[in-house]
Parts: sequence; C-alpha cells; structure tokens
Amino acid sequence: MVNEFIKLEGTSLESLIRTMDDSLAEVLRDESRNSGRAESVSFPKNEEEVLAVLAFCRSQGISITVQGARTGLAAAAVPYGGHVLNCSKMNQVMGCRQDEQGRFILTCQPGVILSEFKKAIDQKNFRTTHWSEASQGSFEKFRKAERQFFPPDPTEASATIGGMAACNASGARTFAYQSMRAHVDRVRMVLTTGKIVDVRRGQAKANGRSLELSLLPEGRLMLDLPTYQMPKTKNAAGYYVEDDMDAVDLLVGSDGTLGVMTEIDCILIPHPAFIWGVSCFFPGEQEAVDFVIAARRQVAGLVALESFDGNALQLLREQRLRSSAFSRLPHVPEDYGYCIYAELHGSEEGRMLEALKRLGELAEGAGGNPESTWVARNEADLALLQFFRHAVPESTNLLIDRRKQVCPVITKLSTDMSVPDDKLRDVIALYRRGLAEVGLESAAWGHIGNNHIHVNLLPRDEDEFGRGKALYQRWAEAVVAMGGAVAAEHGIGKTKVAMLRSMYGEKHIQEMRAVKKAFDPLQLLGQGNLFPVEGGAQQ
Amino acid sequence: MAGLRINPSLCIGCGLCVSACPQGVLVLEHGIAVEQEGCILCGICVQTCPVQAISIEKEEILHENQQHSGIWIMAQLVGDGSLLPVSLELLGQGLRLAKERGCELSVLLAGAIDLQVQCEQLIQAGADKVYACQDASFDTGLEEPYYTWLTTMAKTHKPEVILVGATDWGRSLAPRVAARLRTGLTADCTVLNIDPETKLLHQTRPAFGGNLMATIISPNHRPQMATVRPGIFPLPAPVPEPKGVIIPCELKTRIVPLLELLQCETERSGRTLADAEILLIAGRGIGSPKNLKLLQILAEAIGADWGVSRPLVDAGWAEYQHQVGQTGSTVAPRVLLSFGVSGAIQHLAGIGRSECIVAINTDPTAPIFSAAQMGIVGDCVEIIKEWLKQIEGDSRVES
Amino acid sequence: MDPVTNTIIRDGKQSVINPYDRFALELALQIKERLGGSVVVVSMGIPATARILKEALSCGADEAVLLSDRAFAGADTLATSYTLQLGIRKMEQRLGKFDLVLCGRMAIDGDTAQIGPELAEQLGIPHITDVEELLEVSQERLVCCRLADGERQKVSAPFPVLLTVNKDINQPRLPNIKGVLWAETAPLHLWNAAEVGADLKRCGLTGSPTQVVRTHVPLREQECKVLQGSVVEQLKVLQRLLKGED
Repeated sequence: MVNEFIKLEGTSLESLIRTMDDSLAEVLRDESRNSGRAESVSFPKNEEEVLAVLAFCRSQGISITVQGARTGLAAAAVPYGGHVLNCSKMNQVMGCRQDEQGRFILTCQPGVILSEFKKAIDQKNFRTTHWSEASQGSFEKFRKAERQFFPPDPTEASATIGGMAACNASGARTFAYQSMRAHVDRVRMVLTTGKIVDVRRGQAKANGRSLELSLLPEGRLMLDLPTYQMPKTKNAAGYYVEDDMDAVDLLVGSDGTLGVMTEIDCILIPHPAFIWGVSCFFPGEQEAVDFVIAARRQVAGLVALESFDGNALQLLREQRLRSSAFSRLPHVPEDYGYCIYAELHGSEEGRMLEALKRLGELAEGAGGNPESTWVARNEADLALLQFFRHAVPESTNLLIDRRKQVCPVITKLSTDMSVPDDKLRDVIALYRRGLAEVGLESAAWGHIGNNHIHVNLLPRDEDEFGRGKALYQRWAEAVVAMGGAVAAEHGIGKTKVAMLRSMYGEKHIQEMRAVKKAFDPLQLLGQGNLFPVEGGAQQ
Repeated sequence: MAGLRINPSLCIGCGLCVSACPQGVLVLEHGIAVEQEGCILCGICVQTCPVQAISIEKEEILHENQQHSGIWIMAQLVGDGSLLPVSLELLGQGLRLAKERGCELSVLLAGAIDLQVQCEQLIQAGADKVYACQDASFDTGLEEPYYTWLTTMAKTHKPEVILVGATDWGRSLAPRVAARLRTGLTADCTVLNIDPETKLLHQTRPAFGGNLMATIISPNHRPQMATVRPGIFPLPAPVPEPKGVIIPCELKTRIVPLLELLQCETERSGRTLADAEILLIAGRGIGSPKNLKLLQILAEAIGADWGVSRPLVDAGWAEYQHQVGQTGSTVAPRVLLSFGVSGAIQHLAGIGRSECIVAINTDPTAPIFSAAQMGIVGDCVEIIKEWLKQIEGDSRVES
Repeated sequence: MDPVTNTIIRDGKQSVINPYDRFALELALQIKERLGGSVVVVSMGIPATARILKEALSCGADEAVLLSDRAFAGADTLATSYTLQLGIRKMEQRLGKFDLVLCGRMAIDGDTAQIGPELAEQLGIPHITDVEELLEVSQERLVCCRLADGERQKVSAPFPVLLTVNKDINQPRLPNIKGVLWAETAPLHLWNAAEVGADLKRCGLTGSPTQVVRTHVPLREQECKVLQGSVVEQLKVLQRLLKGED
C-alpha cells in the first residue's frame, strides 16, 4: 500500500508518518490550553513530503490537522483524532524578489518562525546557498538597500509565518499597518486532492462573488463566495470575502480549512527611521478613553494604541513582587489607574517631537498628565516597555494556572471582539455593566485604537466559570448587533465555532462550507475549525 | 600629525575596510581606499585589511626609558592574611618574562600583619626580591594606602613592568597607579611575552567582541602595566633552589586615607563557578529565558553548576555572578557542556583550563568547536529537553 | 562580524548609552531628588554623542557637556580621563565645585573598567569602585556599600569623591514627555580642545601610551570529535562522560 504513493527521495513514507506516542504528545496541545488526540504525526520538510502525507491520508480517509508553532489561541491546531501535519521542519526562507514598486518580497516556508524571520531581516542574514540565481541577485540588492521591516507583530513572536497567514494574525501595530493579510503577496497551497493553488496578488480576482482559481498541474476551482458583508472592523471570523476580491485574501485567514500552505510570500517595507513608544498613565478609564478618541484623530505617525485597565496594572504590581523573573518591571505608582501605550513611527525627528508634544497636550486635556508618561526612544527602552506589555497576559495566565490547580475546570476566558470606531464608548460601557452585574473578577487590555479590547474573565470556581461563559455569549450577541466582529484577531478555530454561527447565521455558514468543500471535497482538513464536523471521515 | 595611513602600493582595492568602518569615512577611489573626514582612529580598518595596507601612526615622543629595569608583581592578600593564588600565578609568568628580558623579578607586598610567612612563600616560588612593607596604614581592605605606596616605590626604583591581578581590588588599584605614573595599562591580558627584537612587553587580550586577539604595547612610557584575571595562568611549580631576598620597607610617614572602611563582611557562599566540577554554560543559542530555566533545572537535577556567556547577562537573562569569560569568572571544571555558545575569544579565555569541553551548537563553523574536545552539531534545547524527559522518566520509574 | 567576509558589520544600529552609566545616572537623579543640587552629564565622543546626552537630560539631568575634537580621537584610558577631567574643571567655572562624580563600572565595548579610577586620579580625589548601594548621603559625606572580591564593605567618604557603580543597583527611569521636550533646548555644551585648554600632547592618540601593534585570529589546534547519531545516542555519550567513563 505504501509504495503506491508518491516516491520520495530519501525519506520513506513509513518514516515520514509516525505513529503517535508519548514523546510526541506536545502536538496535541496549543496555546488555547485545549488538548486533543491523534493517531499519527508527520513533520514534512518540503512540499513533496506534504503531498505524500496528504495522499496517504486521502487514500485512508484520515482527517488532517495542520500545525505551525501551536501558538494559536482558538484551538485551530488541536487535533481531535486523525493525523497531525506539523510544519515546523519547513522553516526555510526560499527566495527573494522585488515587485514593480521595488518592495522586497521574501518567500517563506510555513514553519519559519517570526522572531527569527525578523532577526534575519534586520541582520540581512539568510542562508541563500540553495536559492535561484534570480533570488540571489535580488538578495544582493536587499543587502545593499536600507534597513527593511516586516510589520505584523503578534505578541507571540514564536509564531510561524504559516500560522500567521492561516489565522490572519494581528498585533499592536495593526492599528496602522493592518493585519498579516496586507503583507502577503502570494500563497502556494497544497490541497487534499493533490492539486496545488499558487496565486499571486492581482492574478486572480473575483467577479462579484464568483471566483475562478487555476490549479496545478491542471484544473480549475469555480467558487461561489459567501454573500455576507463582513463587519467594518478588525475581523478574523470566517472567510474573508467581498465583491471583486483578490484570491490571495481568501486563502489568508482560512484557519487551516482549505489547504496546506507551502509557500508564503511576505512583503517588506523600509524600516522606519524612528520608533518611539510612550506609555501614558491616567487616573481611570474615562480619561483614558477620551484620550484615545482624541489621539487617534489628531496625532500623525501613530501606529499603535494599546490599553491596560486598572485591574491589569494591579496584576502587574503583584507579579513584580511575586516573581524574580518580573522584578525588572518598572514600578507602577498606585495613583496610575489606567495605561495607554502609543507607538510612533516616522522619518523625521522634528515631526516625531511634534507628535509627542501633541500626545502630551491631549493627555493633559483628557485629565491625564504629560509627566505621568514613560517615553522609549531606543531599543533597550522599547524592549522594556514591550516586556511590560507582554507581562500583562503572562501574569493573567499564571493567575489562571494557579486557580486551575484548585479547580481544574477553569480555563482562560478572554474575549476577542471589536466594534466600529463610533461604538467604543458603548462597548466599554457594555463590558463594565456586564462585569458588575455578574460580579466577576477581570482584567482588560488590548488594541483600544481598533476598539478591540480583550476582556479577560478570571473565574474563581466552576460556578463563576459557567457564568463567565454565559456573559461572553451575551456580549457576542450585543457586539454583532453593534456591527462588530466576535473574533477580531485570534480566529474562530474550534473554540468560537458557535460564535461564528451567531455572527453570520446558518445560511452563510453553509456558503462557507461550500467553499471549503470545493477545496477539500472529502472534508479531511481542519475538522472542527470554523464549522462543526459533518460526517464522512475517519475520526 | 597622528592619523590614519593607507599605503596605496599595498592596497588591493578589496573594499573590506570600507564596509568595516563604523563611521563610514573610507571610500574607494580609482581602486584604492581613501580616507575622508571623520576618522575616529578606532583601528577597525587596520585589523580588517587583509594585506596590512592600513596603519595608524603617531608622533614619537622620546622618553627616558633606559633606566627602567625589573619586573614587578603587586601581590594581594586576603582577609586572613594569605596570598591570593593570582599573585602566585603572575609570579610564575613573571619569572618567565624576567628570564626572557634578562632582569629580576620582584614582588611587592604590603600589609598590617606580620608578612614573614608570605614573603617566604614568594621566595620559595622563585622571586628574586620581595619588597615587604608592614605598617598600620595597611590595616584596611581599601586600595588607597596600597596604591600610594606602590607609586612611591615605582618612582624610586623604576621598574620596567608592573603586573597586577585583575581582582576587584587590582582593577581599582592598577588604573590609579597608571594614571599617577602617567603610563599605559592593559586590562585582562591572556598572553604576555617579551618581544625578542624590541624587548617590549607584548600584552595580548581579546578585542572587538569576538574573534580577534589584539597585542598591545606601551613603547614610550614606563612602567609597562598589565592586569591578568585569576585562573588564566597556572600556579607555578616550586623552584628547586630559591635564592631570593626579602627587603623590608618602611613608610616614612603614615598614610592617612581619605576613605574609611566602616565594616567588612564576607559574602555568604564561598562557592563560586570556579569551584564547579561539572558546569553547564548557556550562550545566545539557548534562545530564551524560558529555555535557560530548563538548563538550570537540568543542572540541578544532575548536580552540576550553571553559567552563561556574557550576552545573556547583558540582556538581563542572568546575573553577573553566573557570567563565564574574560570579564566574568574563569572556570576549570572536569566537564564543561556548552549549550549554544558561539565561542567568542573573551568567553574562551574563561574556559580554556577545563579538562573536557563539549560544545553543542547548530552552526558547525562556530569557534567554540575549535576549543572543544567533543562536539554536537544540533539544537542544544532539544538535547536539554530530551535529557530532562529521561530524568523525569527515571524518577517516575523509581517512584 | 560578517561570517563570510570576516569584517565587522556596520549595521546602521545607533550607538547607545553605556548600560552601566544608566545606573550611575539614575543614582545621581535619586540623590538630586533627596538633597537637591544639579546633575551634569559629561562625555567625550563624536558629535553624534549629543543625542545620547539629550537622553540623559530628558531623564532629569540639568546640563550636559560633550567634549568633541579631532584631537581627542584614538584616545586610550589615560588620554580619555585627562580630557574628561578638563571638561569637569571647566564646568566648575560655571557651577562651582562638584561634590560627586559617578561612573558606570565599565563600558561594555572597551570593558577595561579603568576610566573611573584614572579620572579620580586626574581630578585628585579619592575613588570607590564596585558600589552597590548608597546608604547615607549628607552635605559633607556619604556612606556606601561596596561588593569587592567577595567582601561586602561599608565605606565612608568625604566630598569630593568618585564612585563607580555596578549593574542593577537600581531601576533607571524612562524620561517622560515633558522631559523629552525640555531636553531639546536644555543646556548642552559642546567644547573642543582649545576651549578646555587641552595640552594636545596629552589628548587623543598622541596622549595614549598604549597602542595596538598587531591583531590576529588565534590558531586553534584542538581536535574536536563530532558526535554522530540521534539525540538519544549523543546524550548517552554525554551521560557517560559525566560519570567519568570514556
């Protein structure tokens, strides 16, 4: 049976497809803290091996879950039976080119780790020995060019490019630079049928909601795209669809349901000459929100606006004393009740100073104080502020872990919802009302510039956990009614499948399913992601 | 006029100096490197040039050097009055240098206690002379009276070379003396030689963050001064027929220091990395503080000590007391396992006396392999995780 | 270093304030908060160093001095400490005599840790290295805690005195918006050799007793046995080595 499949050089199918055992148990989990099960695992090193794995699974009717670094927060990478296809060994940057605008574009395998990718771009240091001549030529130009930059900045920098493309990752800088989708120029994707989609931006565009995709080696996909209108906010819920869209945008953010990406072309831009970060402290939420609303209209060069509420700051104060790993955290004075982090990018120092001045004036106008700010203008200071920001979710996780030891049912309950700009005050009022009514502990932080705040519910026991989940569901309905998105950046994965349905309704879900079926007729890939499993495949 | 000199007849126009210059003042004109405004005389281009076409020249100022003679070691005592090993290590090197130079090796020793035993020890180790000064002025751990005395002695007796151990005390005392004598000082040398032609002391130390050794000289100023870290040189073997003399010295007037030592206590653990028998060291290749924590857990589980290379201390992942290398601790364990360390010369200087070094690094060209007896080209974190898994497995079996 | 060409990569990264000096600056600012007085930051370097001095001003220093001149280039620690001392003396003409000079223990590029003691000698004042903590400060003296050669020492010093401080003795503050904007127009004096009355024979390369006579990549003769096999097999070898077998 094994020999019927694609002949591989070097690796035999037997060594490629490994039976699940304890030593591989890691692959059953991701950052959502959910854990699944699987019968076999593979770590393909190249597209050939991916094709072989998919062919094998197809012949046996085995379901497939694709993984990157398993840093996702919605369990999209968690398998519930079947085979796990882990991309971590596909970690090479394969080539370099320039587009007509002169932008540098790097072709990445899906397992390239973001932090290493960024470091390599910074140091202009790639292993280019196997690259084509054309790539090497472009790389020479890249080396001589000014410093380059890849904007997407999810907090978890150990994420893979493939994972980021699958869930359309976002970070603090998405406020100005947009999410991963905007920085992908081409996707090459292997389908469970054995065919390949390889499409560059601009090559395949929909006509209204009809999209035709060429397949390699031959064939075509005719797609009727779903007919819903996406909310006009930061959104990572379900397939990206709009009239006359570009095919690349459908593939990015497809949450592991359409195919296995084997190459992702990432667009670089020149590194900003100046990057400054400012943490601004306010007495309370009211002042901070007033500041955000004013600043995002009036300050040039703003690339991020992040918030940390009073409870989050208190968590930091406690964590700093509790653990030596956090002793480097700056002390947050007791009268600092809310923090807004603003980041400025620019090319001229004069304009940067003007922007900073404006931030100070607006802070004062909103009830804050330009002296209650921390300004970072060099790498070490920026790293310190980043450490501060990342310590908030870390402290929350540690708190939940402690509570979990007493009550194992408890997991993280973190919202990922965004609303349009004009609804910011409303959604915050909604959150505060709900929390007060249900009497739950919480900490809230996030991308307030995009009206996308993560409210973290901190239940103390099973009862509170249940009430928390119910509250979250009520919020989801209210947010949708406001025209917002229920999965703004973490994706739907498996954990928010119900939310997707309440967001779009059964009809649109079926439309999405139809698209998925076109790509993956046996529905083997990413079972449980976006929609519940329909019968037909081995569990 | 002091400055950069590029020899056009030697220059091959390779342009390496142009890329290397941190100020960007070098350009190629008609295939020859040319200097523009803004040179800060850092010397990187001098080192980069593959054909030694670049040099930095300075005005020669004639000094009266002929009358200076002799190699001196400034010895250091610990609280209980015993000689620090580094003083003996320097004595050993000093004897070799004195032989090469054809001069005497003297040791300077000061203290408030009776110094007879220590002087005997130095004579047995081969010193030609021991200048010993016992005086109440030295009843303090502070450097002030010691550097005051040393400079007075140096001005009187005009040694050609003074060597000091690079302990905290030595690193406070030596520069003070060098500045007072208006002479040069090279810190943390790893190799010392007398040049056979010029008779100058060649002071070699790692330079420029990685893979170069720099040899430094003080051609026109005397004494030539250098400090050396403890553990760089071995302890000397006893001399078969010691024939040195002890010269007691007296202070004409008491030295009254401006600083006052109010209190002094030894820090708790006498145990340092230098005592480690098995040592695990993490370099940048460990990847993250989380992975470093795994290494620490492993070390504890197998009864080993752990240390880090300097970049991890600079990044705040570990504290200075765990730093191994030229500016950290010098170690000599039976087994040293090096995880993700590239092997910059400054680091190698700190581990060179280890019995067996095993290097683990994903980069087969990393310099650490040239210093190791065994190597693994692979992911150091994978090895740590596998090891921990086995240990966990064993303990589960046991329980 | 570029692994291919073996040259130092000019990576366009900005120079930064020596990390040890930040702790010294923070200590100075804390003393100022407690006892009043003014904090002056002094540096010798290229004109671009002014940016770093501005950072120090934005944190709360009152004035800054940048000693910059071609004649200062190529200086070793003796020539550098001589030049710094000239800048400090000139500053005294403006502000009156100084009480305290603070330095970071060492610079992370040169790492000799020599500037502190040499500068103290040039100024003719006592010095204390490896300071961990300031225990008492009054108008006439200070008492500090020092960690040297495994001993914790409590040292008392009259003013003027020079201290070199260790890393991590405090948490250096970040500037705030007000401070950053103020630093743009704060007093930053740029002085050359003539303005500080420098003896050119004692500055820069000319005033440096030490010079580099050669550099080389060290020869290594160590024969390294590369372990083959799987991680588990390689691990077995390590474990045997630890036990003392092989």
